[in-house]
Amino acid sequence: MKQLFKTKWNAACFVLIPACIGINYLGKLFASVLKLPLWLDSIGTCIGGILGGPIIGGICGAANNLIFGFTTGDSITLVYALTSLGIGAAVGIMARLGHMKTLSGALLTACVAGFTAVVISTPLNLIFWGGTTGNIWGDAVFAWSQASGLPVILGSFLDEVVVDIPDKFITLLIVFTIVKGLPRKLTSLYELDDEVVSLD
Amino acid sequence: MKSISLYVDQDTFLTRLHSFSKLYYIVVAIIIPLIGGSLGLYGLCLGLSFCLIIAGRIVKRVLPLIAFSFTIILTVFLIHGLFNQENEQILFSLGPLIFYQEGLLYATKIGLNILNMLLAFAVFVLTTRPAVLVDDLEQAGFSPRFGYMISSVFQIIPQMMGTMNTIMDAQRSRGLETEGNLLVRTRAFIPLISPVVNSSLINTRERAIALEVRGFDSKQKKTFLQDHKLQREDKLFMAFMTILLIGSVIWRITTWL
Repeated sequence: MKQLFKTKWNAACFVLIPACIGINYLGKLFASVLKLPLWLDSIGTCIGGILGGPIIGGICGAANNLIFGFTTGDSITLVYALTSLGIGAAVGIMARLGHMKTLSGALLTACVAGFTAVVISTPLNLIFWGGTTGNIWGDAVFAWSQASGLPVILGSFLDEVVVDIPDKFITLLIVFTIVKGLPRKLTSLYELDDEVVSLD
Repeated sequence: MKSISLYVDQDTFLTRLHSFSKLYYIVVAIIIPLIGGSLGLYGLCLGLSFCLIIAGRIVKRVLPLIAFSFTIILTVFLIHGLFNQENEQILFSLGPLIFYQEGLLYATKIGLNILNMLLAFAVFVLTTRPAVLVDDLEQAGFSPRFGYMISSVFQIIPQMMGTMNTIMDAQRSRGLETEGNLLVRTRAFIPLISPVVNSSLINTRERAIALEVRGFDSKQKKTFLQDHKLQREDKLFMAFMTILLIGSVIWRITTWL
């Protein structure tokens, strides 16, 4: 339990963060090049959370949205910095609890990350855009819920669930396959219980 | 290599302004309408941003940003105009679609808020070089490690885009289908992204070693090549913004009384 939030503040972790932000950007880019109806923009954040722990994951997420918000003029991304922070931290915690070792654990992590994203995004959607998310499928659900007289909060919640949960499932599956394939010489940089042993 | 930053390299009043003045402008421009709570104040802030954008000669660069936000504003208008729960008063109808006054008013407020945020950010983003922003932050006492993190993103992303193009070509030449129906496109995602991700993660190891060798973890205080200080223009600009902010607070109090 004490190890849950432990973070190594070395160069390896500070190099991991920009790489993860780059991966997020690529995920989003590939999703738009292949015209997939998902965001897939948190692959890097999840990898950061798994390798570096919840705090590095949170920093990856928040820094990702802040950097893109302040340099590409995408002020919409900026609003969701909190959501990304939540996703990174949630995945980091789940990974530290040992859930990213098996496929079923990865699916459980996806659920947790998805619900974290939904819970944080819903109030943000309500405050900034009156409940919509900007994703066609989600907004169709929102329109339907409003037309059938459901409360705005519930509508916006469903709007997020429809988009975020499938998105996080696919993201975490991709992350699971990628992390499984990483070489030991890389992952050992981020292991917590390493010790320096002298030969003589 | 193409940069991801939207910064336009030219010498104008706005590019010379200290990055903190422009950050302060963003905060003020977003807060004023929220404090004042009337639609007219959105107009004021939008007008102000427009004046700055014209003075900064970046109008052409702002237009695509506005066009991008229009799809979002349009959905907000459609959904709230048609389905908002407080809809009572019918304003007009287009065929079977009936638009209501309450929903449209609400959507106008949200739309103006989005536009206002977008323009305020555009003033900052299009006139500030990311490297200068990082420098300014570090000089104000921001941790240089985080400073490295930010500036390194700008080097890494163009590099990764290059790798991505190479991998896309390589996989296509091996017969990977990247176009077709949704299933085909989804299946193409993994063989495209995993080599890029793997190679960039493996690169981090070498970069970490290179940084450590150059004293990244050293606690010694770093010096700067250029010293950025707040100029007279910056102080004037910030004072003007503060006056506007106080004005909006007074406005709010007088409308309450």
